[in-house]
Amino acid sequence: MQIRKELEKVPGFEVANHQIDSWWWLVAAVVAIVALLAGLEPDPYWRIIKFVSDGLLVTVGVTITAFILTLVLGLLTALGRLSNNGFVRWFTTIYVEVARGVPLLVQLLFWYFAFPSIIQALGRLISYEPFEHYLANPFVMAILGLTFCYSAYMSEIYRAGIQSVPKGQNEAARSLGMTHNQSMRYVILPQAFRTVLPPVGNEFISLLKDSSLVSVVSVADITRRGREFMAASFLPVETWMMIALIYLIMTLISARVVAWIERKTQTEAR
Amino acid sequence: MTTPSPTPIIQIENLHKHYGETAALNGVSLNVYPGEVVLIIGPSGSGKSTLLRCINRLETFQAGSVCVDDIPLTTAENINAIRTEVGMVFQSFNLFPHLTVLENVTIAQKVVRKRSPEEAEEIGRALLAKVGIPEKENDYPGQLSGGQQQRVAIARALAMNPKIMLFDEPTSALDPEMIQEVLDVMLQLAKEGMTMVVVSHEMGFARAAADRAVLMDEGLIVEEAVPDVLFSNPTQDRTKAFLSKIL
Repeated sequence: MQIRKELEKVPGFEVANHQIDSWWWLVAAVVAIVALLAGLEPDPYWRIIKFVSDGLLVTVGVTITAFILTLVLGLLTALGRLSNNGFVRWFTTIYVEVARGVPLLVQLLFWYFAFPSIIQALGRLISYEPFEHYLANPFVMAILGLTFCYSAYMSEIYRAGIQSVPKGQNEAARSLGMTHNQSMRYVILPQAFRTVLPPVGNEFISLLKDSSLVSVVSVADITRRGREFMAASFLPVETWMMIALIYLIMTLISARVVAWIERKTQTEAR
Repeated sequence: MTTPSPTPIIQIENLHKHYGETAALNGVSLNVYPGEVVLIIGPSGSGKSTLLRCINRLETFQAGSVCVDDIPLTTAENINAIRTEVGMVFQSFNLFPHLTVLENVTIAQKVVRKRSPEEAEEIGRALLAKVGIPEKENDYPGQLSGGQQQRVAIARALAMNPKIMLFDEPTSALDPEMIQEVLDVMLQLAKEGMTMVVVSHEMGFARAAADRAVLMDEGLIVEEAVPDVLFSNPTQDRTKAFLSKIL
């Protein structure tokens, strides 16, 4: 904190701080454009907003749920890849390579169309009733697909963060009698989290955008609702401009929040 | 200085360690008795830090044995048991930068020794007073000078009530004017009868506190004697050659 106070006396620091905050003007400008369009031309713009608003909730819900699961599964995968157990290391490495090597869209199609068929076939094979009549829930499959793919990327971010903590930190912790797990929990991970915060925040923004892909597997997110509106109204320009602006507002706000958290933790680290 | 009692607290026997083709230790045997202060000197790459790090198994070794307080370094449980008995101070301090000074000194007490936060903080504050920086407990390591950081690191190790303290070149990363404040803490510890193994070239400390000085070269112990004798009347040529470079 003291260092920050010192820094604030430096003229350049204030300016830099000011510039970061001034990016909020961009968010405000985009919001103003949307409000203006909806206010001045309620038909079709306000109609579009009303029509896709339930999809907006779906997009936000799918993104946040998948992101929270990704934070957990990504961490477990990263720990697996750094494990002393050869099998765990091998298994998690295969998973990361597969999940990163197959396009997200193909993965989503697989989870929604192929996975249930595999379960049904398995059910017939072992004569297990619930499996034979298994039907995929589009929501669950979409979240599963996003989580499966993004956790692989997230695990690489975590892994880099963990490995960026100097070796001496673990040695100091172990020399005090901490176990491997205690050292991870109290010494390595708290330091790694600070390093990975910016890239993790960027993953959230990517996930938010890529969540539009779930529209192809029967999830009525904002993109799918946009397609439905266009099909009914034949207004492609208005529809997709509005959808794009709504996504832009969400990603710009997310980016600001990420930058804010980042700055906050960095000053607290002093 | 205390008179060594007959049972060694550290027994190192015929220790061999190599990294791939490069040999680091070529059969080192060393006994350290309770209350003894042993200084290890030697040219860089002679294996002195490696030997020290084998005592609490931060390094693995290929052959030989290490026994600390009659516990052999074999199973993972034994290794953790030994690590709680053995405090270590590193050249680069290795304080936890995300924790305050007081938290640095209390974290292992709480996690490993299962002490209550109140008890751990009481012990922590007492130790910070002992190393002479009671007023810095809420600072982060990054705000301290090197000498202050190293004294916190000593307090952190002492908080576990170790029977033995290992010092791996504790003053090598310090600016000259900060070396004495760290050595003073170490001298105080030696006076209190702590068993210490110190890798260092601080001759003043060696003369004032060490019961024995050990010279290592090429992964072997070349010569060992009382510091004054080793420094003034070395018998081996390699000792003479080394001392002529540092004295």
